[in-house]
Amino acid sequence: MALHRLTLRLRPTVTHVRSVHTSRYGRQQEAAAVDPEPEPISVFRTQENDPACQSEKQIGQFYTLPSEHIRLLFPHGLPKRYQQQVKTFNEACVMVRQPALEVISYMKKADYSQPALRYLFYGVTGSGKTMSLCHAVHFCYTQGWVVLHIPDAHLWVKNCKELLPSSYNSSRFDQPLQATAWLRNFKITNERFLSKIKIKHRYVWTKRESTEGGRPLGELVDQGISRVKSSSDVVAAVMKELRQQSGHPEGNFRLAVAVDGVNALWGKSTIKKEDKSAVDPEELTLVYNLRKLLKNDWIGGAIITTLSQTGSLYTSKSAYLPQELLGERGFDSMDPFIPLSVPNYSEKEFESCYLYYTDRNWLQHSQSGTEEGKKELIFLSNRNPTMFDRLCSFL
Amino acid sequence: MAASVAGLLKPWTPSVFLVRWSRYNPYYLEPEVRREAYSRSEAELSAEEQEERKLKELRPIKAATCSATSSVFDDPVISKFIRMIMTEGNKVLAREIVTQTLENIKRKQVEKYHKSPPGKKEEIECNPYTIFHTALENCKPVVGLASIQKGGKFYQVPIPLTDNRRRFLAMKWMITECRENKHRRTHMYEKLSQELLAAFEKEGNVIKKKHELHKMAEANRAYAHYRWW
Repeated sequence: MALHRLTLRLRPTVTHVRSVHTSRYGRQQEAAAVDPEPEPISVFRTQENDPACQSEKQIGQFYTLPSEHIRLLFPHGLPKRYQQQVKTFNEACVMVRQPALEVISYMKKADYSQPALRYLFYGVTGSGKTMSLCHAVHFCYTQGWVVLHIPDAHLWVKNCKELLPSSYNSSRFDQPLQATAWLRNFKITNERFLSKIKIKHRYVWTKRESTEGGRPLGELVDQGISRVKSSSDVVAAVMKELRQQSGHPEGNFRLAVAVDGVNALWGKSTIKKEDKSAVDPEELTLVYNLRKLLKNDWIGGAIITTLSQTGSLYTSKSAYLPQELLGERGFDSMDPFIPLSVPNYSEKEFESCYLYYTDRNWLQHSQSGTEEGKKELIFLSNRNPTMFDRLCSFL
Repeated sequence: MAASVAGLLKPWTPSVFLVRWSRYNPYYLEPEVRREAYSRSEAELSAEEQEERKLKELRPIKAATCSATSSVFDDPVISKFIRMIMTEGNKVLAREIVTQTLENIKRKQVEKYHKSPPGKKEEIECNPYTIFHTALENCKPVVGLASIQKGGKFYQVPIPLTDNRRRFLAMKWMITECRENKHRRTHMYEKLSQELLAAFEKEGNVIKKKHELHKMAEANRAYAHYRWW
């Protein structure tokens, strides 16, 4: 890494010297001295903003997400506190960490004619699972994949304001509001593919409305956004089309399915039917179709998921392992998957985060710059990313 | 009287331990919370301090309060403010409100800092603690009014205030202003941060209240000699 820094520092001076290398020794010295010092090279930032080019050398360093990408790729995907941080610091920096790099390296080497691989991030509360997921999704986006990002599956099994019986299958329930919101965000993220991908089957919505095969996917999505009643079925149709077409030569795209809080799909829900009995998540169309998508029977893509205890229902606060949070049914459905542990910050990563906050003028307390203060921060937060962030916010 | 009571009860050790808020026997000594006091070795202490240490080995010591910390981030003014905001003993909520207020102030200022051109950056104060202290200083009244009876009538007489009284009045006005005169649906931390930032710039309702008190005191200057202390 020292060599990397050295080469960065030498690069502008080397080009300058090359043009005057024939001149006398004295003039050469002057030219090198007059050349303005490039931007101070910070230990915690990296100029490598493309996830595909990042490697272990950049672990612990922050790379910047371009604001265009955030607006298009993450209309709903980033955690709330991180969005506030982006607004305050006027930039979006993500730390390069080992679990995300591992997933990206697997995705680069995977064989996409085989069934899709399932990756699962797990770890204690606040250790950075959602941010690792966002990093992996950014990689997929920059590689030109279709991104199907469900920001929080727990939102689909709780606090449902409108529950309609499904028109397609009478034993299931529709959630029009959540489905339309998701379709809108899907449209923003995958604008460029909506006209290219053509649907194969014919879908009949009502006596007068239907979507024929061969129409672009964008029409299907618009149908779901405008006709709120059938939006859940539209979501199911979109998932089915993408699943069947990814990886095949005529589709010419790869599909990335990113689900945050995947343990919600096999847990309990707080939604009640009219006779006050609880609804099993399997009886919700959105959850049913998402489970079909998470099965590894399709090719040409990857499934990246995260466990989450924070939004989950009826799970103990200290549970974080896949077995505990997914339960028996969930684990059997997700099996086989590649588990990736997301630990708390290592010493180097903590240092990097501390320097980043100091650089952005976030650590303002007079004592937070001292050794004593830093030791106290390490003690109080236990190097947990969320706890450190919450502590620093008022110090 | 306290000394004689202490003398009577010298060899006594209680079977039931006293709780902090009931009155302690004066025999009990104050606890030492600061970390620096324990890191000093025998040689550095003067004679009195060595005597004190010997005394502490023998005498019972009062229990320290739950809120006493040896943390470097401890601020007595902020602790006092948290205690004043607290209602019905809910200190957790009061502390949450104050920390959210500090975070809110810092967010607003840091956002302004990052969006401003390089020339203007030095003028923006980002430290929420300096903003809080300066705002409180700006709200503290210099003179207060006391109601003194003379010849059957009550006169509002300007009097000097102690430091504690001034700090109490500033905090009390700040909290009442935010509780009563702001829009019902905003969070307390939002209301507090707005009022504190205004007071930092010497604007806002609390500063106005301080100026009105000063004007009243100036108007009643003639009665100042009614004060006998």
